Amino acid sequence: MVNAIKGLFISCDVPMAQFIVNLNASMPASEKFIVHMLDPTHMFVQPHVGEMIRSKIAEFRDQNSYEKPT
Amino acid sequence: MPQVMVVARNFMDMVAALPAAKLDMLYDSAFICEAVLRSFPPLAKKYALQMLYVSAPMPAAAMEEWVLDEYASKHKVAIDRLLQLRVFVEVRDRRKEVSYKMNDKFQGNMQKYLVDGGSLPREPISSSVTGRLPTLTELENYALEQWECFLLQLINSSQVERGTSFSSSMMKTFQRGLLSSRDGDAPKLSENGFQFLLMETNAQLWYIMREYISSAEERGVDPTELISFLLELSFHTLGAAYSFNTLTDVQRIAIRDLAELGLVKVQQGRKDSWFIPTKLATNLSSSLSDSSASKEGIVVVETNFRLYAYSASRLHCEILRLFSRVEYQLPNLIVGAITKESLYGAFDNGITAEQIISFLKQNAHPRVADKIPVVPENVTDQIRLWETDRNRVDMVLSHVYEDFPSKDMFEQCCDLARDNGFLLWEDSKKMRLIVRVEFHQEMREFLRRQR
Repeated sequence: MVNAIKGLFISCDVPMAQFIVNLNASMPASEKFIVHMLDPTHMFVQPHVGEMIRSKIAEFRDQNSYEKPT
Repeated sequence: MPQVMVVARNFMDMVAALPAAKLDMLYDSAFICEAVLRSFPPLAKKYALQMLYVSAPMPAAAMEEWVLDEYASKHKVAIDRLLQLRVFVEVRDRRKEVSYKMNDKFQGNMQKYLVDGGSLPREPISSSVTGRLPTLTELENYALEQWECFLLQLINSSQVERGTSFSSSMMKTFQRGLLSSRDGDAPKLSENGFQFLLMETNAQLWYIMREYISSAEERGVDPTELISFLLELSFHTLGAAYSFNTLTDVQRIAIRDLAELGLVKVQQGRKDSWFIPTKLATNLSSSLSDSSASKEGIVVVETNFRLYAYSASRLHCEILRLFSRVEYQLPNLIVGAITKESLYGAFDNGITAEQIISFLKQNAHPRVADKIPVVPENVTDQIRLWETDRNRVDMVLSHVYEDFPSKDMFEQCCDLARDNGFLLWEDSKKMRLIVRVEFHQEMREFLRRQR
């Protein structure tokens, strides 16, 4: 019988994919969210982590910016 | 990005939206008829003039013969416009055929206008009463100053030294679409507000006028009278003085408000007061597309991402602050830099890269306006890159199907999903299929039927 799992299909570039994999690895075992790793730029994750991934990417992006202290 | 545009429509669309009875009242004035005629597309103008002296209805089929077949769409557009503004009225005869007759009042007034030449309800006062009138440049500076002051107050009430005399409820009406306030915080510009600021002056003027007229009902002023007065105003001579005695009460109140916006300048003599229309007022009846770019650009963008704006206006400073980091403000120059952080701030506020780039192009200083490209490509490319950097990850809600009993079933499901355009990923080695969530029901039905 065919199984169907609901989730998010993510497509991005290679560095972002590695970032998400790293994020997944740092989570405790009960909260790991990657269901399948399809290829270096696509993966399938659980549906509720969309916002979390976006905020972590924004945080990562902010860490790379330098704001001159006024 | 949400594609929300602040739509500043033509004055005529507003007129067309009035109920039929009010529109007929508007046509009592010959000026409205003239203004409406001027605003038509060329084919509609031709039809209106052709039907001017024809009192019997003209069958629609006969009118269609006036154009060649390939221009049937233009014909349709013209007829629709004429019907919308009730210049043409539809008449159905016994055989249920449609014919068009011209609106009686419109016809009468236009015929009189043709013969008499039309004169304004008021004449300019002689210069013995008014003394020295402001020159055209003085008037333009005055209008610009008032408009900028008004805009500054609109977007940030705390920053204005000299407020306008608009009541706070009026300002709230204007701010309705432009500012959004979260509870407790001071109101700040919404996405529409930012787009509004980056528009041209004419477009901004239309938006404000539209809000002013729509809110007229709430203030107890008849919008029809207001519209007819505004249209009359656009026929006045730029720079000539008109006495207050010729205005009705409603018009007097309107004139005070318009003076705050910079559309007219009010002056007081020893005995009477008079008002002088500025360029903003006379431009009122022209449509948006006719706006001539008389304003000189002020912005120079360098390849090192620095920005120089030759302006002393506070409003320009505020607009530049929206997306760049303003570093120095000299008496005639604003120096700034376009940085990643400042652009991220702008993107967070809902401004798109295209808007920023088109603002820079439209307001380019004449010294660089002839260069190709007007804004250096590395700057425009980088602005677009920074925008796309914000969404590097694309997420689609979907279902993954695995454990197919046979390869055939897998192939069939693949084809079904692909034909309907919902297939996202297929892996034939692991027999795994990813399909968009909207298709899940159909897929389930299909699988159930197969068993």
